[in-house]
Amino acid sequence: MRKLKVLLVDDEIMIREGFKCLFDWESHGCEVVGEASDGMEALAQIDTLLPDIVIMDINIPIMNGLKVIEISRTKHPEIAYVIVSGYDDFSYCKKALQLHISDYILKPVNYEEFGSCIDNLKISMYESKTIKNSDLDEGEERVISSIMRYMQEHLSEEISLSVLGEVFHLNPQYISQLFKNEIGVGFLAYLTNIRIEKAKKLLLSTSLSVTEIAEHTGYGDYRVFTKVFKKTEGITPSQFRREFLDSRI
Amino acid sequence: MMRMEIALILVLVFVAFIYFGVGKRNTPLHKTFSALLLITPLHLAFDAATVYTVNHLETVPPFLNEILHRLFIGTMVLVVYLFYRYISILVNEETKKDCTFHFVSKIYLCLAELGAMLLPVHYAVTEKGNYSDGIHVSVCYISVAFYLLVCLWVLLKNRRQIDRKKKAAIGVALIIEGIVSILQAFNPTWLISGMGITLMTLAFYLTLENPDILRAELTEQKMSMLYLKSQVNPHFLYNTLDTIRIQAQLGGDKTTADLLMRLSDFFRLSIKTDKQMTMLEEETELSDAYMELMCFRYPNLKYNCDIDPDLSDVLVPNFILQPIIENSLLHGLKNKGYRGEVTVSAKKTNQNSIEIQVADTGSGFKQGVKNKIDEMLINCDKHKANIDSIGILNVQKRIKLLCGKEFGLSYTENTDGGVTAHILLPIVREEFE
Repeated sequence: MRKLKVLLVDDEIMIREGFKCLFDWESHGCEVVGEASDGMEALAQIDTLLPDIVIMDINIPIMNGLKVIEISRTKHPEIAYVIVSGYDDFSYCKKALQLHISDYILKPVNYEEFGSCIDNLKISMYESKTIKNSDLDEGEERVISSIMRYMQEHLSEEISLSVLGEVFHLNPQYISQLFKNEIGVGFLAYLTNIRIEKAKKLLLSTSLSVTEIAEHTGYGDYRVFTKVFKKTEGITPSQFRREFLDSRI
Repeated sequence: MMRMEIALILVLVFVAFIYFGVGKRNTPLHKTFSALLLITPLHLAFDAATVYTVNHLETVPPFLNEILHRLFIGTMVLVVYLFYRYISILVNEETKKDCTFHFVSKIYLCLAELGAMLLPVHYAVTEKGNYSDGIHVSVCYISVAFYLLVCLWVLLKNRRQIDRKKKAAIGVALIIEGIVSILQAFNPTWLISGMGITLMTLAFYLTLENPDILRAELTEQKMSMLYLKSQVNPHFLYNTLDTIRIQAQLGGDKTTADLLMRLSDFFRLSIKTDKQMTMLEEETELSDAYMELMCFRYPNLKYNCDIDPDLSDVLVPNFILQPIIENSLLHGLKNKGYRGEVTVSAKKTNQNSIEIQVADTGSGFKQGVKNKIDEMLINCDKHKANIDSIGILNVQKRIKLLCGKEFGLSYTENTDGGVTAHILLPIVREEFE
């Protein structure tokens, strides 16, 4: 897979430095190709560098981050945006998600846990790519797609490489390699991603308790679920539900 | 006469409109008064209708007249019962014990309602006007007399423990209703029962349920919240902290970076002053951040937090846990050179309430201090805070104000040294559509 190009937008140099140096872009198959410290600069950089991913602070001078995204979105619809926002303007995040922005992270950024955000981006990029391609080569079903479908359908059960190996009569090692090559993320990262995505859907569309949702998404223990959720989303499941349902009123 | 009833309904609807528009706490007292404000205009409407129908016996169908009379007397009994409930809750809150006759009064309510629905209605026709009389109407008089006497008895029995203003409000309301009822009994054509009930409602509204008083209670609480917080612009503080954190981590100092992360967590969580209630897990997050920093400063300090995960979304008053823990450290563990443990736990005590415990292995209470603190927490509204007690007193006041008088903070001494703070709270959860 080719390296993904990343553009960093934040008005504070220290935060950009943090992103650049404290996160291992290399091992996640990415490289930082540019930086911008205000809205106008960000627009210009996006046009010249054509990045795959833009890490975007919302509260930046001259033009705010959401506006930048709105403008450049029409020109470059394939770019994935990650919103970075302070806890106090969480309402922006909700607005951002309504604009179908790939992901958001909350400040202060925990760089060790930023990897799951990049993994999620790759998964959603892969998914949108397969949706596009499925029109072209219909009928030609690939192993990875059927494994992914199996995982979606058996989310509440125990899924591991060895279980998948038995179901599909394949070497677990081979399946692990398949994930790395096709999507660019590890098997576990993918599993966590679809579990949390399902949990987010259930949190917003049903009134199931968090314990029940943990069971539906294959987390036997409520505590484990809450921990993983907090790690990837920055807030706990009940906070997530409250923040997003509040915004509808 | 019907004109008077209509005027009274308008007055009450206006009062209800103002009352329901004001933010207030959901206590049994306010709930009862809300019920009164809903039932009373309804009763007055039946009152107005019967005033008309009883004077047009020839034109109004007899069954309609009868039904209206039954509803009129039925709602009247209910209104008087609600007055009794309201007064008894008021008295119980003051005396902190149950000294009323719930059971007897409920049985009586059922009997009176049965009477109002089943006993025969009879009309007296006079030159000055018609009115209903006989055994059916006597249900109403007996009920008024019964509940007024019970209230009077409760009031007189507990007269020493009740706040003067509340005593005056109850007294005035009882006297008005007594006089109006006696006048009505001797002059059946006056048809003024509605006036007594309206005046009684107004007596409570103007003294105890007044919007300004309700608002003032809430403002006082917000003000004392602000007092607890730093005066520095908090955003500047924690944004700067974050910059320093990244600098430290860039320099390879992971420990410093982690500590600064916890410190900015602590600030971020503690500046959420706009919300009065918050989820328990946010409270424990704040105390986790606080205690992790304290444990780093004092390596012999240990901290455990064991919260039943199903309680993490229970709503609790904002910023109640950290001041209690800080208190445990400053008045308990500091005396032992910060050697020891703080344990936070939470469990359900029954279907409707939880108890959060903060236990420490500190030096315990000094001689006589336990009694002083108990007394201060029980009579928290009469105490002015001093430097040592501002934290727990503020917590206690806010719990009482936001959750109700039956909840709050208390302390016990551990058998093996140290003290345990018990915070009793109702189980309230956010509702989702």
